[in-house]
Amino acid sequence: MTFRIITATLVGTFLATSALAEVAVSQKDSKWYTDAQARIDELAAVTNNTNRAKNVILFVADGNGIGSNYATRLWVGQKKGGLGDDHVLPQEAFPNLALVKTYTTNGQTPDSSPTASAMNTGVKSRNGTVNLDDAGDYEDCNAAAKAGLTTFSEIVTDMGKSVGIVTTARLTHATPAAVYAKSAHRDWEDDTKLPEKCAQKDIAAQMVDAVNAGTLDFIMGGGRQHFLPNGITDDEGGEGRRMDDRNLVEEIKSKGWQYVWNDETAKAADLTKPVLGIFEASHMKYEADRTGEPSLAEMTEMAIKNLSANDKGYYLEVEAGRVDHANHDGNMHRTVTDGEAFAAAIEKAASMVDLNETLIIVTADHSHAINFNGYCGRGTPITGLCYEVDDHGIEHTGKPSVALDGKPYTVAGYLNGAGSILHQEEGANDWTGSRPDLTQEQATDPDYLQQALLPMTSETHSGEDVAVFSTGPWAHLFRGVIEQNVIFHVMLHAVTAE
Amino acid sequence: MTGLPRRSLILGLSALPFAGVSRAAEGAILLRDLYNKDLSFSALAEANKGQRITVDGFMAPPLRADSNFFVLTRRPMATCPFCSSAADWPTDIVAIYTKRLVKVIAFNIPIAVTGLLELGTYKDPEFGFVSRVRLADASYERK
Ligand SMILES: [Zn+2]
Repeated sequence: MTFRIITATLVGTFLATSALAEVAVSQKDSKWYTDAQARIDELAAVTNNTNRAKNVILFVADGNGIGSNYATRLWVGQKKGGLGDDHVLPQEAFPNLALVKTYTTNGQTPDSSPTASAMNTGVKSRNGTVNLDDAGDYEDCNAAAKAGLTTFSEIVTDMGKSVGIVTTARLTHATPAAVYAKSAHRDWEDDTKLPEKCAQKDIAAQMVDAVNAGTLDFIMGGGRQHFLPNGITDDEGGEGRRMDDRNLVEEIKSKGWQYVWNDETAKAADLTKPVLGIFEASHMKYEADRTGEPSLAEMTEMAIKNLSANDKGYYLEVEAGRVDHANHDGNMHRTVTDGEAFAAAIEKAASMVDLNETLIIVTADHSHAINFNGYCGRGTPITGLCYEVDDHGIEHTGKPSVALDGKPYTVAGYLNGAGSILHQEEGANDWTGSRPDLTQEQATDPDYLQQALLPMTSETHSGEDVAVFSTGPWAHLFRGVIEQNVIFHVMLHAVTAE
Repeated sequence: MTGLPRRSLILGLSALPFAGVSRAAEGAILLRDLYNKDLSFSALAEANKGQRITVDGFMAPPLRADSNFFVLTRRPMATCPFCSSAADWPTDIVAIYTKRLVKVIAFNIPIAVTGLLELGTYKDPEFGFVSRVRLADASYERK
């Protein structure tokens, strides 16, 4: 039944199109019209790339849901002097797109470990676990041995490819960990939280095993504290946390790896040899606060230079780890500035590789409780107050829109988090509050937290869909609405295609 | 709406550091203005060393009840179970040593802290907390 209706509509459209040739279209010289016609020509010229992928680059901006991606688009576009909305981020120029369902086997709302597992193993699993099947329980020390999953990096290593990870989060954090580790708890980043006599190793120790097994060839990110023994101070004064007296940095260095720890030592690295870069004791800095560390784009460039030396190809996972953290903070400014750094890394990668042989995938692991108010005129600063639409012009009127309380509001807000307008006054049971009054200068301040509703110590993830953008071999398999674990299967199909 | 005139003052201060020295006492300083981007001390911080100043920020949830110590953060310190352990403090913070026992104010309510500005690395013998900027003999209030 449904089918028949669609067919009828298609026939109708077809007839209308042929009839169109007879009609003088009055808007045909409009820039909107001609730009769209040019876009149709571009899209019609896209052919499916069915080459076998030599290389795969998986870009994940943690927590960069469609809303955060939208905000970054406007931020970057406005920074370049435009109104923002018409800006095209590099990933948005890719020809293929799908919506991704990010739920996990037990979470309508996921965290980053099962989502990274889905992309690296091809199956969904439980919140809090890294590369485990549900047969292995959360927090169960035997789970990794019993239910550890084969990872994409193990598969491609077997094909002779190199593997790299780049992240602005700790290298032991969920998204990078899923490239090389299997853990019943995402927090077992070093041995301090690992239960005594646990059958699995902590995540940092598993990185050393991966280096020894040859399933990791290039590593850059944060998290030195998990690699250094307690009592050892790193080059920046941070203290090691390990209780087992192992110095994993020294262990990896002893395998012929170079170790770099700031922007200068990274710049001096010999990229023909394996590199371990750890730039912070914990996460690397937000892009807005970055000093003394390479940018995500710089790390991506170094990784591609290093990994391209392998003529059998490589798998590189690049994570913008702190779009997520900025959203958790309820701070839009750092969400979009880290989103901008993510876009710059994608642009750098796309300019360096041959898309005939390199599959590039850009996605997020999950979304956040961020949303957008209306009705704002064009050019309204995306991190700031909503300005009214100019009914007779293009750009906003410069007059803040106000809610029924007579106060202005920002374009973006959070459903929950530290920016909550509700507070518990001393001795009171209820949480009460009202929206503070706000100037545009306060709202666009880099440290401003957008207003939120539910009071929480940290804003939450959300279960809504994220996007996947893709180009290169078999990128056309990304279409429609897919399960997150399908991403792995596209990568696998691409690297094994005959 | 108090933010606007205050910040205009601060902008004025960074543009004219010497003029700012005498005026700093009048208005509150934003925590971030004590540091340069590379986390060295700002001219404003150096100029006010040893002086009683007022700094705006947020009270991080205190490490221990009934103490005279808390950490002032630049933004409300969201404690995300997935992101950070308690040991992961931001680098641009101010350690506050209060006159009286700390009465907790929620981590996301803006406060102004007045105290004697101390610069230089110091490890608290009791908490083991390492700070580079402190306000001693401090008092604070909601803004
Ligand atoms: Zn998160």
